[in-house]
Order: sequence, then structure tokens, then C-alpha cells
Amino acid sequence: MRIICVNTGNKFGQWYVDNLKHMIDNYSGLKYDSFEVIEEEKYKGVFNKLQMFDKFRDGENLYFDLDICIYNKVPNLIRRDLTVLHAWWRDRAHTSFNSSIISWTGDQSHIYKAFKKDVNMWQEKYNKGIDQMLEENFKVANYDKICYSIKGNEYNKKDNNYSIMLFNQSQYLMLPGWSSWWTDYFLPISVKNI
Amino acid sequence: MSIKICTLYFEGKYTPDYVEKLHNGLKKYCSLPFEFICYSDNPNVKADVVIPLNPHSDIKKHWYKLSYFSPLFANQKPNDDIIIMDIDQIIVNNIDDIIGYPVGENELVSYNKWWGGKPKLNGGFYKFKSGELKNFWSDFIKCPEVWQLNWYKTGVVHYKYYGEQNFVDWMCEKHNVKLTLMPSEWVCKLTNNKKEDKENQLQYIKKFNKDYMVLDKPHDDIKIIHFANPHANIHDSDYHWIKDYWK
Repeated sequence: MRIICVNTGNKFGQWYVDNLKHMIDNYSGLKYDSFEVIEEEKYKGVFNKLQMFDKFRDGENLYFDLDICIYNKVPNLIRRDLTVLHAWWRDRAHTSFNSSIISWTGDQSHIYKAFKKDVNMWQEKYNKGIDQMLEENFKVANYDKICYSIKGNEYNKKDNNYSIMLFNQSQYLMLPGWSSWWTDYFLPISVKNI
Repeated sequence: MSIKICTLYFEGKYTPDYVEKLHNGLKKYCSLPFEFICYSDNPNVKADVVIPLNPHSDIKKHWYKLSYFSPLFANQKPNDDIIIMDIDQIIVNNIDDIIGYPVGENELVSYNKWWGGKPKLNGGFYKFKSGELKNFWSDFIKCPEVWQLNWYKTGVVHYKYYGEQNFVDWMCEKHNVKLTLMPSEWVCKLTNNKKEDKENQLQYIKKFNKDYMVLDKPHDDIKIIHFANPHANIHDSDYHWIKDYWK
């Protein structure tokens, strides 16, 4: 099994990658063969995620965003068919998909190939991100409620019904100076690596 | 319960010694125990705790101060007294009455901006109980890009990214927060503009029935001086007495 993350642009430093690996190795219970980091910035923002469908065309694949907290043994997240999160914690808005966690087995490179045919069109049409693009154009399944979001839970205790929490757009809560229960699961933060 | 005095430093208008000099003033003129914190993009500032400022954030300039309204920031504990202070201030007399000013639930304590302009509160000093005003941060962080320019775009302020104290004042109104302004004569404003300072001096004399505001030194009733003006700073000031207090 392959674990994948994407760290392009300057939004996240090396600490976030190291921190994700730290949480996977220490709390998730996941056993994996390789930990892959995509760093080459070829496209606009989140569209760089699509590179993983080109690079990894075999075996079991499990992708995580960098702004998450893994704090306990995770359920089985490996899927045969391409699967992303259902954003059950918020109103639907432009999409109900959330690609903070993705899994597939085998070859899904047709998504990347379709994107490559007209990069500008895809990036303009789906300027809010790839979630809506995946929902409207490809056959993608949804996970059940396997994680929750920090939205509305900033001041609450850790939810032990789950093992993963997403920071979504509240990534600042991972930074130095900010602390709550999740800090205990993080690597010590280094300013030069954030 | 402990008192956390929280400041912000970012490279630009001021130099890191502003933080150290404010800290020195507090140590000299405050007998109450406190922790001095600085959220800074320069690691060399001198404070009890220095929190590194995120270089990639969408937040601009002094708006970072609002982080302290979240109880998740700066290692706050329930019931802590949180004071957010601007670093462009000089403490000139015992300041226990200001630092120890009582504050309760759902209350914000600030200076009274007697020299004019709206709002009446002054962004140089906010005091509140940890977590009591967390909505201020929650509301701000939902769309910082909008709030940071709101008062500039609507013509209320005339400098880009100004308006943080307008936001705090509006938050008090929106969330029915009790706004308490400390006795006005404890604080005065100076600038690097002699005419403006003279006008403030006359206003102070008249308003508070004092002989003067600042002569060869500040009046004994004044505890703190705020260089509250977009163009004012302490290091270019001509007042010779400053060197006795700001060191």
C-alpha cells in the first residue's frame, strides 16, 4: 500500500509532511510500503493533486491532505474504486465532495489524461477546486463518516467516535502559538519548516 | 488566574527595541505579576514568550492582534486576564490601576480616546477574560480579506488596512459586549506633530481641569502615552524626557 501527500507551492512547509508521517506512523495503525510526496508544482494550487493519478497507476493508494490530525487507529480506508470524502459536516454548496482523503486501487490515470487535454479549461471552470470537478465528471464513490471537521468544533473536546479530524480552512490552528488537544499528536513545530 | 500582556511586532514601521522598551516599562511601573508575550515575525524581539508569526497567512499587519481573542492562542488558560497592548506606548507612572483594572464576563476594557474620533475605544489596549470574546476572532477569521479592508473601502479610515479598532467596536455592539473605558486622564496621545500635540494639550487641560498634559515631563496623573497616529513614532520624537522613560 502506498501513502501519498502533495506539498506544492508555499502554503505548507516541510513540517506538515513530517507531521503527517509522524501521525500515520504513531497513531493510525496503517502499514504501508511507501510514503510518497508530490512536490513538483505544475498547475494551479489544488490541481497539482491530480498528478497522483498519473504517477501511481497500480496497487493500493491512500492520499491525505496535510492539514489533518490523525489521533487514533483509523478504520479501513483502502478502496478498490476511486473514493473521496463526503463533506457531511457542512452544507452542500458547490459540491458535497471533499478530497482531503482519497483512495483507489489500480489505474485512475484517465482523470489526469482528461485534465491534461485542456488544463486551462478545467482550472477555470473548477476554480473552487478539484472536488467539484471529480463529482461532476468522473465516477467517484464516497466514504461513510470516517472523519470529522474542526468547523464548529474548535473549542470542543476530541471526538472519540472518529480517528481523523480535518482542519479544512482553519489550517492556522496547526501553527505555533495555537494549541488544543490536537497539539499533543503533532511533531514539535519548527519555525523554519512551517 | 494570571495576567498575560500580549503584543504584536511585525517588520516595517517599528524596530524590535519597541517591544523590549515596553516590556522594560511594564517591569518598572507595574507591581502586578504578568507574562509578557510577543507575536512576532522577528525572532529577536525580547519578551517572556515569543510566538513566531506565520509568514504565509492572509492576515495583514496589526490585524494579527485579533488572534489573542481566541482562547486557543498564546497558551491561555480559563479565567486568565488577557491584555492586548500596542507597542507604540511609553509608560510614565505606576500602571497597576490599568493592568489590574477589573474585567468581568462578556466585557472589554479599553482606553477612552478623549482626543476625539470614533470609535471611543482605543486599539492600543484591550483587556478581557480569556475566551469571553472568542467570537471576535471567529467572526474575523471567516473572511479576513473583507474585514481588513472594510473600513477603508467605506471611507471610515483613510489608510489601507486600518480599521481594526472599528472592527472590535462593532464586535462589542454585535455581541452585546459591555464596553468599559478607563478614566480618560490616565492616558494621553502624542504625535510627531507639534501643532496636533498642542491642540491635545489644550484639550487635556480643559477636559480634566489640569495645569498641563506634558511640560518638561508628563503630568503625574498620566500613566501611559500612546503615539496613536498613522505617522507617529517614538524614535523620531523631539521630547527630550522620553529617554528617561523609554529605554
